[in-house]
Amino acid sequence: MPLNVERVRMLAPGREILWRASVDSTMHEAARLSEAGCASGLVVGADEQTAGHGRYQRVWHSERDAGLYFSIVLRLAGVDKASFPVATFALGVAVAEAIQSTTGVACDLRWPNDVLVKDRKCCGILAQLYGSAVVAGIGVNVNQTAFPDEVAAIATSLRIESGREQSREDLLAALLDEIDRHCEILAAEGREAIFALFTRASSYVVGRRVTVELGGREVTGVTAGLTAEGYLRLRADDGREEIVIAGGVRPARS
Amino acid sequence: MTIEEIKELIRLVNESGVADLEVERGDSRVRIRRGQPFRQDYVIPVPAAPAVAPMPVGGPPAVAPDSTGSSAKPQTLEEGHELVKSPIVGTYYDSPSPGAAPFVKIGDTVEPGQVLCIIESMKLMNEIESEVAGTVVAKLVENAKPVEYGEALFAVRPR
Repeated sequence: MPLNVERVRMLAPGREILWRASVDSTMHEAARLSEAGCASGLVVGADEQTAGHGRYQRVWHSERDAGLYFSIVLRLAGVDKASFPVATFALGVAVAEAIQSTTGVACDLRWPNDVLVKDRKCCGILAQLYGSAVVAGIGVNVNQTAFPDEVAAIATSLRIESGREQSREDLLAALLDEIDRHCEILAAEGREAIFALFTRASSYVVGRRVTVELGGREVTGVTAGLTAEGYLRLRADDGREEIVIAGGVRPARS
Repeated sequence: MTIEEIKELIRLVNESGVADLEVERGDSRVRIRRGQPFRQDYVIPVPAAPAVAPMPVGGPPAVAPDSTGSSAKPQTLEEGHELVKSPIVGTYYDSPSPGAAPFVKIGDTVEPGQVLCIIESMKLMNEIESEVAGTVVAKLVENAKPVEYGEALFAVRPR
């Protein structure tokens, strides 16, 4: 069934929500509205995306009516521009909180903001800076019962993990609420508060054996916390300390 | 510095009509002089791509850099050329996805608002756009390398 957007509006009063049956990517319309000066918090969502994508244009499988696919405009009032990248952590923590409170499924966070259930991804977040606004694209696998072969080993849905169908409306309302709350924490208490929440919620920050691609090299080691800026410290197997500022972090094979 | 990069610099020298170009990257330093009367020195110090990703020193300034540049690194430019600088610490990508064609090549003409590259900081993607109409005369950073706040990414000759 298509999303009952009236129910979401009732649960999230005052929120501007544009909901489409099908779009190429919710990011495009949200970016256009952001640049036209829309209010912070505006949501553009769709029951289906025909060209949903993640980082590096990787395809985000957006099956009709099964997941939540939306973009949100965040103007981050009160947040120093240098801390804007920290909003991507705040979003990850917010999504994990909303999923846990709505569905009871326990989530993990993989640096910087992949939301996982038992090491499989149930939510991807892509954020893009447009002038002075962050436009975040969020894809949550809610009621999928299966995935295409190419992602079957790395993806999961909340329905698969909880064993029952979930309300997309309730989850969306909870997500918007938690996103607001965590952006307010970032504005009021600074990035350290978000890093503390992230560290508590993520098994990847300390003591996790991972492999990371760093500027074309693959480095394996054990994670050793976040730097003051939020980068991931890695104690590499060759004894050196590396700082991960971007790139995919995955569990090490050995 | 690779042979390819040196070739690119020679191309840059020829295209721009500059008499003398000097580029430093970490321990490597290349100087290219043409057998013609001097016009002006063209010095672009290119920061080394360190083995360990760099840490920003202190808190990054709260304001975006202006195009005239207040970076700590000395940048002498041929008159009329503009440097496009990174507004954030992050990773430089010269194409929208791995293996795709680069957003721009040396010699390409660009329009205001045209995307030149992406700088990623912790999954916040920042598309860097050209502020001027002109020609790309130098690409100063290697794909997928870390860049500092205010680091020069491109030189553009406005038309």
